[in-house]
Amino acid sequence: MKSHTWLKPAIFILVLLGVWQLVVFLHPQQLLPGPWKTALGIVDLFPRGLIVKYIVASVFRVTWGFSLAVLVAVPLGLVVGWYRRAEMALNPILQILRPISPLAWIPIAILWFGVGDLAAIFLIFVGCFLPMLLTVINAVQSVPAVYINAGRNFGLGPVPLMRKILFPAIIPRLMTGLRITLGIAWLVVVAAEMIAVNSGLGFLIVDARNAGNRYDLVVAGMVIIGVVGLLLDNWVRSLERSHALCWGFEEKQ
Amino acid sequence: MSLKNIVSIKSWNLGAKVTAGAVAWLVVVSTLHCWLNVNWAAVLNSYRPPAERKIIVGYIPVTCQLTCPVTDYISKYSESGEMFLPRMFQGFPELKEALIANKIQAAFIVAPMAVALAAQGVPIKVVYLGHRNGSAVVVREGGPITNFGQLRGKIIAIPSRFSDERLLLFRAMQAYGMKPDSLKMVEMAPPDVAGALQAKAIDAFVMGEPFPSQAEMGGYGRILFYADKYWPNYMSCILVAREDLIQNRPEVVQLLVDGIARSGLWLDASRPHRVDAADFVGRFYYNQKPELLRWALTKPMSRIRYNLLEPQKKDFDEVRDMMIQTGVLNVKIPFSAYTDLRFADHATIETSWKYEPGDAVAK
Repeated sequence: MKSHTWLKPAIFILVLLGVWQLVVFLHPQQLLPGPWKTALGIVDLFPRGLIVKYIVASVFRVTWGFSLAVLVAVPLGLVVGWYRRAEMALNPILQILRPISPLAWIPIAILWFGVGDLAAIFLIFVGCFLPMLLTVINAVQSVPAVYINAGRNFGLGPVPLMRKILFPAIIPRLMTGLRITLGIAWLVVVAAEMIAVNSGLGFLIVDARNAGNRYDLVVAGMVIIGVVGLLLDNWVRSLERSHALCWGFEEKQ
Repeated sequence: MSLKNIVSIKSWNLGAKVTAGAVAWLVVVSTLHCWLNVNWAAVLNSYRPPAERKIIVGYIPVTCQLTCPVTDYISKYSESGEMFLPRMFQGFPELKEALIANKIQAAFIVAPMAVALAAQGVPIKVVYLGHRNGSAVVVREGGPITNFGQLRGKIIAIPSRFSDERLLLFRAMQAYGMKPDSLKMVEMAPPDVAGALQAKAIDAFVMGEPFPSQAEMGGYGRILFYADKYWPNYMSCILVAREDLIQNRPEVVQLLVDGIARSGLWLDASRPHRVDAADFVGRFYYNQKPELLRWALTKPMSRIRYNLLEPQKKDFDEVRDMMIQTGVLNVKIPFSAYTDLRFADHATIETSWKYEPGDAVAK
């Protein structure tokens, strides 16, 4: 039984690759490379270790931007979610900042941090912080009153209440939020690297554009971005599957 | 809890495990990044005292700015050693922002952008030019267009509204008696134009090298004319330096301008010089195929020139007036307000590098 779970998607991907190759074969005047040329493009990145360098660079920026956003957003979200007045005060500005794409911050990131890792990390932080904060605020507000009352019966003050009741209570929703936010971080890093730095998978794409007719490297970059993104997502999913973290959901069959 | 319990990870609770895993990941990925990607020369440079710090010169990978990597490469491999830290950008907006924020102290930018920035109060001065000629109007190979007049009503890509290429089109339109609005100009990132021409998304483009060469080499583009046909001594990329740098460390600016001047003479010395430049710049700086740069630099050599690089009042006044005419500038800023000619004047005594093509390879 087990082998079938990956067999079907694998066959489907192979069929798609075949169609892609065929279409490219039928239209030789198009610049879009086929899967074979793309694979050769990926192989081209191995000798100089570029593929490892660029993946490390992108993952490094995502790790820091994402971690900083989580470290700031979770405690802040707990406080803002708990104190009604704090939420009333902050809500308008959050709602104004929320629709601004993190990419709109690129010029400001360059003015503040120049061109380098800091600018990219800042952009990822901006992209992750608000979704994370709003998730936490929402989660805190929907914690069942019975948990809070139980905590109060034990005489817990605000800080122990947040640590011992609110934080554990929001963990299942926090995990979902983390997963979505990590996806955003991965989207932002590629865009940020096209502008603000000289390494990383986003840079690989923009550099291939500058290198003349190297669309094989462009598509190779896209494939690598997709695969690394998938691995990151799988990793957070594996955390989600832990019962200790996701006790709020029903048991899956 | 006994020491044994602390050491054995199995006894940790889940929170501790997740935290430890996250910290371990941070350390590993940061170490790898510092080892593989961080440019330590640049990091260490920013911790030196200001008077000893090497300046950072921004450039983008086009042949109009070839003297920048050539100067860096030759100075590293010949007498004087490293003079500045070159920093490659992917486009003019980021380059301009880094210059305004003093993250870089000098840069190669297009002339109209320098005039516009100076007019907006950004403290920069033009100190030298990057090249002459070097841009071309390209149409589809085998397509119907054989002269500029036939482009009436067609879509043509330009690099930016602050580009000399756009002004070049206005000059050509004047020569053909066309109205200023008779071309549909679209701003496009230079790396995308060759592909767009091939895909028939545009009818023509006007760009600096090596993008015309890219379309030519690919077999889908044909040069309609080079810039100097309608604009003798055409210039587009020029070298600007921040005013504070000029005031506090003029000797550093002089060294940079001298180096650029020497590289210009070196590049114009002979065909082998250009072939060598195409090779090392393509491989170590622009990450472009050396064949592409060789095409752009040698087919023919007059495609781009690296002499007559002292800023001339006549040229800049012309650029400024055309900018005002075509609506991208609103002040008649005088030449002296945004140029500093002493470095170029002094650089006229310079001679070409004593570096023969292929020296570094031989070593």
